[in-house]
Amino acid sequence: MKNKNQSVFDGLLADNTVLSSCMVISPVIICGDTLRNAEALAMAFTAITLLSVLLCSFIPKRLPYAVKIIIYAVISSLIYIPVRMAAQEFFPGIITRIGIYFPLLAVNSLIVVQTEAKFFRMKRLKMIPALLFYVAGFDAVILITAFIRELLAYGTINNRMVDADTLISGLGQPFGGFIFLGLLCGAYRAVRSLFPAEQSTGRE
Amino acid sequence: MLKKAKQERLIWLDIMLTLLTLELMAYFYYGLRALVLGGACVAVSAAAEFISLRLMHRRFSADDLTCTSDALIIALMLPTVIDYKIAAIGCVFAVVVAKNIFGGRLNMIFSPAAAAYVFMLTSWRNQVLQFTQPHVHTGVLEKATGLVTSASHSFNLTGEMDATDFELLMGNFSGPAGAVSILLLAVAALILILRGDISGGAFIGTVTGTVILSYLVPMSGRIADSVKYPLVTNMVLFAAVYIVSDKRIAPRRHYYAFFYGLFIAMTSYIIVLTTAKENAIVIVALLFTPIALAFKNLEKRIDDLDAQAEAERALKEEQSAEEPAQESSPEDTDEEQIPEADSEEPPLEEEPELSEDQEEEEVTGDEE
Amino acid sequence: MFLINDFIALLAANLILTQALGTSTIFIASGSRRKLVATTLVITLFTTAGAAAAYAVDSLLPSQYSYLTLLCYTLTVSLLYVIFLTVFYFISKERFKSVRRYIHISAFNCAVMGTLFTISGRASEDPALSNIGSYVFAGLEAGVGFVLAALILSAAFHKLNSAKVPAAFRGSPAMLVYLGIISMAVWALK
Repeated sequence: MKNKNQSVFDGLLADNTVLSSCMVISPVIICGDTLRNAEALAMAFTAITLLSVLLCSFIPKRLPYAVKIIIYAVISSLIYIPVRMAAQEFFPGIITRIGIYFPLLAVNSLIVVQTEAKFFRMKRLKMIPALLFYVAGFDAVILITAFIRELLAYGTINNRMVDADTLISGLGQPFGGFIFLGLLCGAYRAVRSLFPAEQSTGRE
Repeated sequence: MLKKAKQERLIWLDIMLTLLTLELMAYFYYGLRALVLGGACVAVSAAAEFISLRLMHRRFSADDLTCTSDALIIALMLPTVIDYKIAAIGCVFAVVVAKNIFGGRLNMIFSPAAAAYVFMLTSWRNQVLQFTQPHVHTGVLEKATGLVTSASHSFNLTGEMDATDFELLMGNFSGPAGAVSILLLAVAALILILRGDISGGAFIGTVTGTVILSYLVPMSGRIADSVKYPLVTNMVLFAAVYIVSDKRIAPRRHYYAFFYGLFIAMTSYIIVLTTAKENAIVIVALLFTPIALAFKNLEKRIDDLDAQAEAERALKEEQSAEEPAQESSPEDTDEEQIPEADSEEPPLEEEPELSEDQEEEEVTGDEE
Repeated sequence: MFLINDFIALLAANLILTQALGTSTIFIASGSRRKLVATTLVITLFTTAGAAAAYAVDSLLPSQYSYLTLLCYTLTVSLLYVIFLTVFYFISKERFKSVRRYIHISAFNCAVMGTLFTISGRASEDPALSNIGSYVFAGLEAGVGFVLAALILSAAFHKLNSAKVPAAFRGSPAMLVYLGIISMAVWALK
């Protein structure tokens, strides 16, 4: 929120949750190795974050910070319950594979930290599209990461074999996730620096 | 500055000469393919270095040729029959991910060769750890047959080795092409230490650590074998020369470098002993990079404190010289005697600031 | 010898290097010595006390209501959050202002919640670990692992933020790659 002329589209590229702020990166690093995982995580993240932030926006602002954070966490944990049940219907095997990263989505930084720092400083009409783009930004990154990692590490795209000659199995491991995400963040910053408008305002 | 650059190039040249000797030995045992693999690694590394430096808006200079020595180290740690593509990916990883992302040769954090080797080990374990027997020459484009595990592998499992002492010295046993020529490695180590090209402290620490533990916790029945085999297997000697003792990574002072090498050797020995993990020393050397960095930070602190104490002492001497004279002319207070940087040095307890000037100082300090 | 083995085991079970939990927090923590000490201490406090609370939740919550685990953990962490804030407030009102932000950062953190879920998962796989002692020890171990990872990162912090690092990679991208390479070495030792 350093720049007051923030656009609602910022969450998609200019202020991307993962690439720019390095938040909610553990699911991307660990579970973003196949498209199936990424789809399940993206859907769960979208549902939990959108509903939680929208509901939390009705919490009175004058409450102490600690109380508000607790309420946000409890609300997102409650929303997690129906989302998990729905996910078990649509992605039965994947939920087990994602393991602890699925419930951890409910206490992600976008809900617990960014609500106060970012979203609730906006008017609700502006907040909703901004939130949508922030969520879309996360979804796009996890899907792109998963697509590339799955292709290079396992030689598949959405579990379908492709004719890949040399596979880099390390990319499917957590360390591969760290390294790949680091490279992606660097590439993203390099691309951003090519645009003059970003050069003046972007570098923190 | 010019002297330093010249020194760096001489170090590179010395290291390249020893590596080329090992490459020749590999040619003798494994044929032309060993040379082609080395050449391919050098070419790919040089190309990756050139392209990544251009992307970083930096010029490719003669100093950047150090990437070729890293490439040869990688080639010599691999089986000669490995898929060229794997070796090429490893070299690109070494140059781009393990080196240039962190600022290249001016801001080294990891040993590029060690990082690339571990990357290849984790991604293509079977290809990296399967070798042809010595004197089995595989064609340049031929697919290898009759692959065997290394002598290190069987030693780790059984504590025994089939090779005679002469064969061990000459490198006539299965293993990475360049890492088995023990006699050559010993000579290379001696030359490089005497010429100050590698960290003597780290090398001695590594050898001492291995010898002490192999004596105290033997892996073989006979004490002589227990001390001898751990030094010649698992790339211990090779890593001690070219990875652990790499001056770009190891602590500058021999005292700290000795302990750095000692910790690496002891940890890797215990890992080999308890898990039979092949070539653990390379992995441990990579894992101990933060310790090397911590030692370097400590060295810098000590240097800063020394400089500060020196400046204070000079100031006191100056003041005491001024007092009896009473009347001092302005020329007597020569400000140049006190280094400017010291007066701006933050106190030890203060949080490190990340202003670019200080960072610049940090990096330069590390390089010295 | 046992110490080295324990050290390797601690690295191999490290929540950051193997599970990437609390990575963004560690980026903040490694910035300075004060932040490092404060954040790691508070996180260790949360993981240890949280683990004890997680044991209570796991033993009291019937298995058919497992979908309520997250809610129960959130409530227990919330309770700890309030307790720690109150305790620190009464210990030193002057220092409370500087300490509370570390409590805010640490409470609903992936490192803390992830630890609770990991410990619970391990206990459900191995009933021998299903006792308060194992839970608390695992919580403490996770905290120590966090300290270790923070130290690993702080050793290279200056180099990773140096002006020599290309601008696009300076800071968090370089830190991610650095952690990735260390994590790779840990993985190779497994």
